[in-house]
Amino acid sequence: MDSENNVIVEYREVTKKFGNFTANDSISLKIYGNTIHSVIGENGAGKSTLMKILFGIYSQDGGELIVKGKPVKFKSPLEAISDNIGMLHQHFELIEDFTIFENVILGSEITNTGVIETKDTRKRIIDLIDKYKLGLDIDNKISEVSISEKQKVEILKLLFRNSEILIFDEPTSVLSPVEVDEFFKIIRMFKAEGKTIILITHKLNEIKELADRVSVLRKGKLVYEVNSNELDLEVLSREIIGPMEVTHLTDERAGTDYDSELLLSFDSVSVKKDNVLKLNGISFHVSSGEVYGICGVEGNGQSEIVDTIIGALKISAGSLKLNTGDVSLVPDDRIGKGMIKEFNIGENVLLREKNVTHFTKKNIKETSEKVISEYDVRLSDSLSPLASLSGGNQQKVIFGRETGLDNKMMVLVHPTRGVDINSSAFIYKIIIEQRNKNKGILLISSDLEEILKLSDRIGVIFKGRISQEYPKSDFTFSNDEDKHNFMVKVGKAMIGIE
Amino acid sequence: MMSRKLKANMLSIALSLLTTIILTSILLLAIGKNPLMVYSMLISEVFGTGYGLGQAIFKATPLIICGCGLALCFQASLFNIGAEGQLNAGAFAMSIAAYTFDDYLGFGVLPFAIICGFIVSALWGLIPAFLKIKRGISEVITTIMMNFIALALVNYFLIDFIAVKSTVRTEKILDSVFIPKLSDFFGSFQGSSANLTFVFAILLAVFLYYMLYKTRFGYEIRAVGLNPTASKYLGIKTNKIIMWSFLLGAGITSLVGINFIFGYKGYYEFGFSNNLGFTSIAVTLLAKNNPIGIIFTAFLFGVLDYGGLAVNTIVPKEIMLVFQALVILSILAIDKIVKIYYLKED
Repeated sequence: MDSENNVIVEYREVTKKFGNFTANDSISLKIYGNTIHSVIGENGAGKSTLMKILFGIYSQDGGELIVKGKPVKFKSPLEAISDNIGMLHQHFELIEDFTIFENVILGSEITNTGVIETKDTRKRIIDLIDKYKLGLDIDNKISEVSISEKQKVEILKLLFRNSEILIFDEPTSVLSPVEVDEFFKIIRMFKAEGKTIILITHKLNEIKELADRVSVLRKGKLVYEVNSNELDLEVLSREIIGPMEVTHLTDERAGTDYDSELLLSFDSVSVKKDNVLKLNGISFHVSSGEVYGICGVEGNGQSEIVDTIIGALKISAGSLKLNTGDVSLVPDDRIGKGMIKEFNIGENVLLREKNVTHFTKKNIKETSEKVISEYDVRLSDSLSPLASLSGGNQQKVIFGRETGLDNKMMVLVHPTRGVDINSSAFIYKIIIEQRNKNKGILLISSDLEEILKLSDRIGVIFKGRISQEYPKSDFTFSNDEDKHNFMVKVGKAMIGIE
Repeated sequence: MMSRKLKANMLSIALSLLTTIILTSILLLAIGKNPLMVYSMLISEVFGTGYGLGQAIFKATPLIICGCGLALCFQASLFNIGAEGQLNAGAFAMSIAAYTFDDYLGFGVLPFAIICGFIVSALWGLIPAFLKIKRGISEVITTIMMNFIALALVNYFLIDFIAVKSTVRTEKILDSVFIPKLSDFFGSFQGSSANLTFVFAILLAVFLYYMLYKTRFGYEIRAVGLNPTASKYLGIKTNKIIMWSFLLGAGITSLVGINFIFGYKGYYEFGFSNNLGFTSIAVTLLAKNNPIGIIFTAFLFGVLDYGGLAVNTIVPKEIMLVFQALVILSILAIDKIVKIYYLKED
């Protein structure tokens, strides 16, 4: 695979700047045909920018890009697509009111005197669905399908456009563990067919599982490359983080003396949304000074628990007790639910502090700077809108804001999704700190490792109720085998086998 | 220091004006007129005489007021197309309150009539707000429809019950409760109808700017406008914000009645608004929903409005309507260009 004539994409000293910020600093990188090449790095390391250059969203300021032996400088994604390059974005670009069929052909319609040809095209798409076992009904509307199905539709779009070089930008961040396995199978099928896959990811296990070759970016520079046969995850994670101290979790309570006060309790709560029963007599409670972790496959009622707590959904049966004032919330979708992205840090924080009635320049600036220094937020201008920050930094701002409110109860949903290793470690530290300050924390996550690491008790959610509950003693392991067995047990409970 | 975004806004407004001037010139040339002559006549007529400037101010005043009301709605992402109906209902009520009670209240009738007008307009705005919150019906459709209903109702009550015989207007208020004209303070405005309502309009714009950009209420309005879902998760009572924005925004549109009733004619007359509620949409969008910006865009429209009359001797006054339309089209196009090439947004 290292033979030079098999190079399908080559970056030669490619540089891309945004104002004073260098996103890609003279990167030279070769991607070999028919391999799975992973590009890894922290948020803001420049992975997405590098890929967007290949897909024609950006064009490089310096250096050369060579695709299939020809130097190119794409002015738009259309040019990249015509060179058989396809990209699966983190955010889907689908029209909700159109069917899957309509979304797939959109932009590449085959027409006959202005009328869209459907018969042969439909057959072609259905064949693609069967071949890759995507399990989609092409007449379903996008608004009716799940997130993982939406992702499959995006993949289908790439296939329909005959993409040979496929760029996946953090594809598994929206998927549950079961769906991830399915997704891996699809990727392997692509490779078997001779396609080239570029996988941008944060997750080391995905690299171990899939990648033939790995390139690590750090602060805009290519710092490390390795083939899968020489891959050492320890070395890799050190290269990703760079020469920095990794924060360790401390599990010691600040004061041993605390009252365990019941803060939140769901007592056989049922909730309907659009006439569908989403919570089906769910019962659990959270006390002060503990992290209660709820894990499960997405769509089993997790988001409805949150909506019920904030009062956006009405309870149809059972009772909910909330023995606190306001609840701090870190929602699952940080851009859609967690912030006003056009506002800056200070404005977003003050918006949540109900006693602040006037938003003065001074107040906004001071609040911004306080959060920036206390929560190690990295950005060039303290007053730039949140939209311009990387995902990890946005998440730190949200954590800073919500912990700053000093509410007794915190609800955290997927707190480290799409967040780099360093920021994750920082966020874990905050969560433990808050627990040690006798806060009650409800942690909802589909990342089982995360749940195990942080929780004092664990509940498995399945079809709108807690199907299993485990005390801390069940997941205090003496060896790796115990841990493995426990995870298998929980994994089974999550998909309802046990 | 100006922020980059503000600079970009200024740049796009300047470029749009330039483009419009060029395009209008081409049109003028095509009908065999010398554009330079038309422009110089317009400028000398409007800015060369106190009367001309006064008339431009007089025309700009209601646009500022109505624009402010709309800005409040637009900032909350409520596309209120119903200002025409709201302001007619409000101004009609204002005039009835004014001529009925001017004998008893003296000058105190002004605040009283303003409150009456405000409440009627606000209630008219409350209906689409209620339908949106409770039933999720788009305010665009309801407000457009409510325009027809408002105008028809006002027409019915005016003609059948209230109008002075063989006219389409209400009774006139006492001369003693008129608002002073600007010419009472600055002699050079002599003859123009510009009055102190203009000062009130500017204060209103400044107040609204302060409210939208410096207070919690304003931030919550803008947050709901930018992202209603996130606003809900941030603990903002979104329905309450939608209701208050609609109610206050619609209420403010009624205040255009002050200029016409207390500052100019002394009565409500059918058709007085002359599509003011629609022209204000353009004024507001041109100013990007910023109340301070509205002062300037409304003044531009005032200048064009009076200027059209002034140059009517050499070109049809409709040319200024073309100018207004071209300004809007160019700002829409140029704004995008500035965003891509100056702000480097995707």
